[in-house]
Amino acid sequence: MSLLQRLDSFLNKFESALLVFFLTVMILLAFLQVVLRNAFSEGILWADILLRHLVLWIGFLGAAIATSHDRHINIDALTRFLTGRVRSSAKVLTYLFAAAICILLFDASLAYIRLEVDLDSTVYEEIPSWYAAAIIPGGYALLAIHFLIRVALAMNALVRGEKR
Amino acid sequence: MTTIIVVLLILLALLGAPLFTIIGAAALIAFYLADIETTAVIIELYKIATTPTLIAIPLFTFAGYLLAESKSPRRLVNLAQAMFGWLPGGLALVVLVTCAIFTAFTGASGVTIVALGGLLYPILVKENFPEQFSLGLVTSSGSIGLLFPPSLAIILYGLIAQVSIDQLFVAGALPGLLLVGTLGLYSIRVGARANVPRQSFSWHALGSAAREAAWEIPLPILVIGGIYGGLFTATEAAAVTAFYVLVVEVFIYRDLHFTRDVPRVMIESMMLVGAVLAILGTAFGLTNYLIDEEIPQKLFELVREHISSRTTFLIILNAFLLVVGMMMDIFSAIVVVVPLIVPIATQFEIHPLHLAMIFLTNLEIGYLTPPVGLNLFLSSLRFEKPILHIAKSVLVFIGLMLIVLMIITYVPELSLWLVETLGTR
Repeated sequence: MSLLQRLDSFLNKFESALLVFFLTVMILLAFLQVVLRNAFSEGILWADILLRHLVLWIGFLGAAIATSHDRHINIDALTRFLTGRVRSSAKVLTYLFAAAICILLFDASLAYIRLEVDLDSTVYEEIPSWYAAAIIPGGYALLAIHFLIRVALAMNALVRGEKR
Repeated sequence: MTTIIVVLLILLALLGAPLFTIIGAAALIAFYLADIETTAVIIELYKIATTPTLIAIPLFTFAGYLLAESKSPRRLVNLAQAMFGWLPGGLALVVLVTCAIFTAFTGASGVTIVALGGLLYPILVKENFPEQFSLGLVTSSGSIGLLFPPSLAIILYGLIAQVSIDQLFVAGALPGLLLVGTLGLYSIRVGARANVPRQSFSWHALGSAAREAAWEIPLPILVIGGIYGGLFTATEAAAVTAFYVLVVEVFIYRDLHFTRDVPRVMIESMMLVGAVLAILGTAFGLTNYLIDEEIPQKLFELVREHISSRTTFLIILNAFLLVVGMMMDIFSAIVVVVPLIVPIATQFEIHPLHLAMIFLTNLEIGYLTPPVGLNLFLSSLRFEKPILHIAKSVLVFIGLMLIVLMIITYVPELSLWLVETLGTR
């Protein structure tokens, strides 16, 4: 079990490092762009495109980390009052469901990437657009892995609770 | 078949499944049943996630979290106290104004109660305000700036309802001020009755508080003035704010350390952004499917069979939204409910900006309504008081907010006048 937790925190470290890097780039580039546009009425052509895609990357990385910290938005009107085994069972069920949906979304986004590759579409000059969109399947894969780890952890809590 | 799926999904949602997976499942199933490639969900996700205005969301959220983690809440309270402390019940006004500004910047995610409430509640009680009132005030103020720029809720609403975000910000000014003003007047009355000692006004105190906060004072002016004056778009304001706050808090005030604190705040704030964008991403596909299937149109016909007048519709709408606000948090409510309501409201000739104000005010009240209002739980945790006690303390505030909601609902000019006068596009 500790192996899974280690995998989870290893992934988190990797996601966090990327996230911090991307957000730093975004803050600097977005500001630079405003200055250029207002003071010199010009801007960097590729900056707007890069910024828009950074949102996509930051969003998926943030969502992946949020999974490990139970920060996804859900309706907790009912679960707030659940305790012990009922709570753990609900977690196993809902995380399993979440993982399954993420896998389906991963599959759909792979098809999307294949479509982009076939179309040879570019996002800016020579850069293929699937480079920019690669985080969609990547992000859903990360989300699925984190959810599956949560399933295992919740099951473990369930089994331990029974022994006690 | 469809009924079973819908019931199952609702059950899973009630058991606490992340909402983005519920919405994602609904979208996947809907496309699958309609014989459309599920890739369509991803195409829509890509389209919405790379909308230019979306950049404002991570930038503003980061800036808000950075402010909350720094010592700026304390400086802001000191400044507001020097400005309003001499008024009867002035301290309560301090609470309202600082919380409104802070909620606008942090996106009503509960940061206000944690960062400011803990600071303000002890001062209120020390200054002789009744305990119950103080608790109610701090709890209600945790979501009061929702209608002011650069509120995350407004940005999200604009994206989903396809309304200009800059217009929404301008439209929110008067309803937002009415809300703060109403609670302010009530607070002054309570302060006068409780014989709260007044501070004497001192230019010296104001001067030193202003000097302390000198670098933060330009911020609301920059954002609010910039957007209202048409100088900046919301996206540009976000870019400037994030950069400015980073430089000021880390390199000028040195409240936060660049390598020790900033990455932590970045990750903390982007978890919220990720959670919101995850919902937004899958919801957009579902929304487009619903519109293609003319579901809002069918809903409208259903509604029209029973409701013919605009007034009745508005009453039902408010009742419905209050229940939504009790059950859901504001971000998912916007993403899920707005696409269904907007077309119906258009048929009843309700202006989109007016509808936005009705919607957001309802959801703002939802933060306070038992049994599940988020602010009640946050306050209960922060001040270590039983939920029931907190719920009782906000009753008066809910009442006042309901009155304001009625005014916002039946006086559309309140939401529209400023936009027309300023000619915001």
